[in-house]
Amino acid sequence: MNLLEGIFVKPFQDMFGAPDFLIQVLWEGLVSGTLYALIALGFVLIYKSSRIFNFAQGIMVVFAALTLVGLHERGLPAWVALPLTLVVMLILAVAIERVVLRPLVNQPDIILFMATIGITLFLIGFGEIVFGGENKAMITSQLGIPTGSLEFEPFGGFVSIEQRDLTTVVGAIVLVVALLVFLNRSKMGRAIRALGDDHQAALSVGISLSTIWVLVWFIAGIIALATGIAWGSRAGVSFALEVIAYKALPVLMLGGLESVTGAIVGGLMIGVAEKLFEIYWGQPLLGGNTETWFAYVVALMVLLFRPQGLFGEKIIERV
Amino acid sequence: MRNLIKTTLLSAAIAAAPLALAGAAWAQDTLSLPNLSYRTGPFAATGIPLMNGQRDYMLMLNERDGGVNGVLLGYEECETGYNTEKGVECYEKTKATGIVTQPWSTGITLQVLPKSNVDKIPILAPGYGFSAMQDGKTFQWAYNPPASYWDGASMILQNISGGNLDSLKGKKIAFLHLDHPFGKEPIPLFQAMAEKHGFSFLPIPVGLSEMQNQSAQWLQIRREKPDFVVMWGWGAMNAGAITEAVKTKYPMNQFVGIWWSSLDGDLKLVGEEGKGYRSISWSFPNSQSPVMQDVKKYVVDAGKSMINKDAGEFEWVFYQRGILISAMLVEGIKAAQANFNTKVINAEQLRWGLENLKFDDASIKSLGLEGMIPPFSTSCANHTGHSGGWMLEWDGSKFVKASDLLQADRAAIDPLVTSEAAKYAAANAPWPVSTECKM
Repeated sequence: MNLLEGIFVKPFQDMFGAPDFLIQVLWEGLVSGTLYALIALGFVLIYKSSRIFNFAQGIMVVFAALTLVGLHERGLPAWVALPLTLVVMLILAVAIERVVLRPLVNQPDIILFMATIGITLFLIGFGEIVFGGENKAMITSQLGIPTGSLEFEPFGGFVSIEQRDLTTVVGAIVLVVALLVFLNRSKMGRAIRALGDDHQAALSVGISLSTIWVLVWFIAGIIALATGIAWGSRAGVSFALEVIAYKALPVLMLGGLESVTGAIVGGLMIGVAEKLFEIYWGQPLLGGNTETWFAYVVALMVLLFRPQGLFGEKIIERV
Repeated sequence: MRNLIKTTLLSAAIAAAPLALAGAAWAQDTLSLPNLSYRTGPFAATGIPLMNGQRDYMLMLNERDGGVNGVLLGYEECETGYNTEKGVECYEKTKATGIVTQPWSTGITLQVLPKSNVDKIPILAPGYGFSAMQDGKTFQWAYNPPASYWDGASMILQNISGGNLDSLKGKKIAFLHLDHPFGKEPIPLFQAMAEKHGFSFLPIPVGLSEMQNQSAQWLQIRREKPDFVVMWGWGAMNAGAITEAVKTKYPMNQFVGIWWSSLDGDLKLVGEEGKGYRSISWSFPNSQSPVMQDVKKYVVDAGKSMINKDAGEFEWVFYQRGILISAMLVEGIKAAQANFNTKVINAEQLRWGLENLKFDDASIKSLGLEGMIPPFSTSCANHTGHSGGWMLEWDGSKFVKASDLLQADRAAIDPLVTSEAAKYAAANAPWPVSTECKM
């Protein structure tokens, strides 16, 4: 009886009993979800255009953030370090295309996946040699990101919203809208989508595979930098950020590996749902720390009914 | 660019060090002293200053004294990334030549603990590992001087209760910990103390993937309104917790960490806002001490150190704690050399040295470590030594001493040590228990 009450009654009593706290939980879930969605977007873009599951997306987040902070530490002002970091991410995209992807064209998917593991290991070692493994402070204020908090008192309670989290959410929305406009309205964007739909047909009409790959990896680099700034401003920049990237995996399972919409909706859903579950069910009934597995359970349940994910394409193959 | 070249060359030098020492061994004997380090991965921020300190003390002795009694100290790192499987691989790789193993993770320590009985290699785990390793009769090859996690937990409780644990009755203590063997280690002691003294104890685990995203844990803290938050954090978890505490506006003077949660670099991220945060510690930095001045002269100024000078790492609690950890190992070596009247000691002889460590006021002074570590000594029956510790407090820019020397409650801990050691031996039977130690 107590257990049933703990599952079906108590959580809702708590939610309605302290609505200000519920708002805070929902906000924190939304911020986490936005960040998950950003990481998932990086995976989706590369998979969509090249059928490569980019294992290196997590380390790209670390590498981009470390480059930004590292350049600033070496005396460059933030307004110079930021574009220079983008240049570094462009060089990285070109290098990956030339050195790793081009020689592996037409190889099985698993080979390309293994190659991205190689890229991960290289970036870990290279990043540590150049920037060291210490935790570094993100140059939040130098980038013009406000650091205070906005405080409200709804329902006689208290809600605090960090301005940097607000900036993250707004920044992510701007980035996603820009990305969608680019993919749907620009010539290059349509080329990326064409390549994702049918490689051979796209090549036959003159779309350059290598140019698109460089472009897609560069966009993934931009997303990685945005994610790195957002996460880094919360708890510093270190190689621990790479671990967070794996939180995007259930988002991809839920949203579908090929869907930009799926990455965004999946990220937000998982961010909010795991926070609600942890606070109202996980901590009182299971001792907490349910966020490490909750998203995977949700994703697996979705896969039972929709193997392609909520927004993925249903693939029918004749045998 | 100069820094990059320097870092690259130093990294190459570390990799080549064993080879260089192998060459030097033709001319001079060398003791192989492996360290299962973690300079990479999510815990690197914690590991790097500690390992830099360990390395620099050995380098200093090699440069200043030509090693110890004419024998070079062959400090060798095997990178684990704080990963238990890699740690065990490193142990297997280094056990043939090494006379000690320094596992650097409670998880790795627990894995190599049974192996050390068979391989007869002493485990040196200063301030970490399984607290019951204090029982030297049961854990004949494992040493965790100068204080165990249970010592740390007891000292924290004493400090926050003002010396009277009964004053905690009716209060709530949240225990924010890494969901890992390290983080779970003090839970039995806290639970026993909570039952005895009538306070409520609320464990709040932080998963590895949540270290930098602790909003759920701190929402729980906001909801539960604990009187104190005690943190058992490592690596990126510390910075994540401290920034969330600032964000949640949790009173910093009610937030206390174990000694691995006192990394200057983590607190520098929040600066003034972290003012009042405290951490129990068996070490304290003293950059003016003779030993630190020698490290500066022979290693840092000579360009042989890997420390981040710009960040002020030389002054950090962790860097100087690394120095002390190597000092403990070297004192064990010296004790063994003297006792067995040989310069090139083996693992079994070092074991004797580690259970006869004497860090009294006189030896601390003669080693040039004044003010850096409280006195302690080990024995065949007691592998911890129980130095006690100081409460350190972040003043906005550095840690300062905020208490006199605190001592753990032996009456509460020792019976738990005896029962947990017996439980461990029974669960791992047949487990050899010393009959030689008569203490």
